[in-house]
Amino acid sequence: MSAEPVPFKARTNIGRLAFLLIVLASYLFLAAPLVIIFVMSFNGNQYLSWPPENFTLDWYRVLPEQSQFIEGLQTTLITASSSTALVLLCGVPAALALNRYEFRGKGALSAFFLSPLLVPTIVLAVGLVLILGPIGLTNTYLGIIIGHFAITFPYIIRTTLMALLTSDTSCEEAARVLGAGRFTVFRRVTLPIIAPGVIAGGVIAFIVSFDEAVISLFVAESGRPTLPVHVLRYVEQSADAAVAALSVILILFSLLIVIIVERLMGLRTALR
Amino acid sequence: MNTLESKLSLVGLTKSYASSIPPAVDRLDMDVEDGHLVALLGPSGCGKTTTLRMVAGLLDPSAGRIMVDGQNITNTPVHKRGMGMVFQSYALFPHMNVAENVSFGLQMRKRPKQDQERLVQQALEMVQLDHLAKRRTKALSGGQQQRIALARALVVEPTLLLLDEPLSNLDAKLRETMRTEIRQIQQRTGATTLFVTHDQDEALDMADRIAVMNGGLIEQFGSPRDIYERPRTRFVANFIGRANLIQASIDAEGEDQGEGLVQYQISVADHGRFLAVGEPGMAGTTRHVLVRPHRLRAGPSGSDAEGLRGSVESTSYTGDSISYRVRVGEDLFTAEMLTAGQDQLRVGDEAAVSWKASDALVLPEEVS
Repeated sequence: MSAEPVPFKARTNIGRLAFLLIVLASYLFLAAPLVIIFVMSFNGNQYLSWPPENFTLDWYRVLPEQSQFIEGLQTTLITASSSTALVLLCGVPAALALNRYEFRGKGALSAFFLSPLLVPTIVLAVGLVLILGPIGLTNTYLGIIIGHFAITFPYIIRTTLMALLTSDTSCEEAARVLGAGRFTVFRRVTLPIIAPGVIAGGVIAFIVSFDEAVISLFVAESGRPTLPVHVLRYVEQSADAAVAALSVILILFSLLIVIIVERLMGLRTALR
Repeated sequence: MNTLESKLSLVGLTKSYASSIPPAVDRLDMDVEDGHLVALLGPSGCGKTTTLRMVAGLLDPSAGRIMVDGQNITNTPVHKRGMGMVFQSYALFPHMNVAENVSFGLQMRKRPKQDQERLVQQALEMVQLDHLAKRRTKALSGGQQQRIALARALVVEPTLLLLDEPLSNLDAKLRETMRTEIRQIQQRTGATTLFVTHDQDEALDMADRIAVMNGGLIEQFGSPRDIYERPRTRFVANFIGRANLIQASIDAEGEDQGEGLVQYQISVADHGRFLAVGEPGMAGTTRHVLVRPHRLRAGPSGSDAEGLRGSVESTSYTGDSISYRVRVGEDLFTAEMLTAGQDQLRVGDEAAVSWKASDALVLPEEVS
């Protein structure tokens, strides 16, 4: 063989270049739907088609006139914020109990709390319809909230547990010795210390609930359709780019939440 | 001492976690005088921290009583005990600044705002950190955090100050400075203090009384001088300072030496008869005899030399002093002597180790 060995430095450069290309390609692949949606939302064509023809802001202009989107957004905001509040109210004490106390059946309970992550959502949705139907909770806010509570609970448990595990319990002991009763210790010391984890859990729960379509579809399609359900219906019926405009707004909305959390506390510490 | 007079009394205090393992703290009795700093000293797992946490109320005793000022506080919840505690990790509240940390205990006591500010200022001045009042605690050095923790514990004028290995996270140099500082602050405030440590130097340096603990029991409770000069057990003799221990039969009791000691004639198997001192009443038994290395002499073993004969196994020279390790039969003796003047022994030399009668102490603990 007459091929000269590639000099070491050149070889590493080639390797690095290849690596960079692969990373870039992966990111492009992941971001492609977002990019396409973004471009399509300014597409002057009547239908969702590629490549875009001329630039327009019409799709954004007509959005507020789409009453079903506004209604859906209202329903979604109500259910997402209520289920997030409820799940925080129950999840944080539950995580605290799992972390700080010893009791019978602790392992089983912990597994049970995380189980909604393992059950396919569709199974959960069918089950919910069977239970909520007879007691008259289908097509109500409460029905959706109960469903979303189930799927967001594991996230709160996980992030709160993580924060509790990494916190120094002697801070709580110090507070007790200094004269604080159990509730005061929780309010003044434990909660502020685990706040990043709790808030991260809350944000994830909100986004998951905001985005959830399957349970909402099964439980409340006819009575209280949420925004994702409306989007689904809309795409089924028409193929214009109003949905793309809506999607861009939703993306910006999520981005805003992430930025606010990052600004407030640093997302990295919150999600560690 | 009468229980009513002491600041803190532990009566039969016991903590056992399971019946299958020996108790972590076993029927502990101790009386602490008002204003004293008492060190709980012992190796890890001896029950010293468990004892401290029971006094704080962070652990429930399995049996026994804790009395403070004659009041039984065994069932008083932690937050009603009015203690001040400094943790090994300092446990400063990370989400509060220095002043907020220090005022926490005062807030819990619902002291008026102006009082809080004044007392926090005073406490921070006491530890010389008043200029850091508005700082975040995370930005502070270990020594500074340690002082804030001390200020936070003392600002509430606690019934007892409890220190759980407060110096173990500091580097060696800072540890010495903080020792002196904690001791000074403790004496100035007169706070009765329990201090958990595994460092004998710390305990000897700082404490009014030392409780040497081992296996959940107090081996000996006394002044630092007592503990060092008059250990009662082999464990204490070995744990505090270095020790040469010789097993000997105690023959005849001789004359009174003062301070509760009498002279004894002792015989060490195959090596002849020697002199030692000890508490009266041990004649006719077998005991351990303690000679500290710097009280042991090693010299050439001529025909007129006294002492135990053996050979030099190793030497170590540290400038001011030289120490010889001399093997006598099965036993290895360490003699540490000033380097001034005398002939030096070499490895392999025949040597004799000897002591002044008053430098050898017969330990009261029976040989099992």
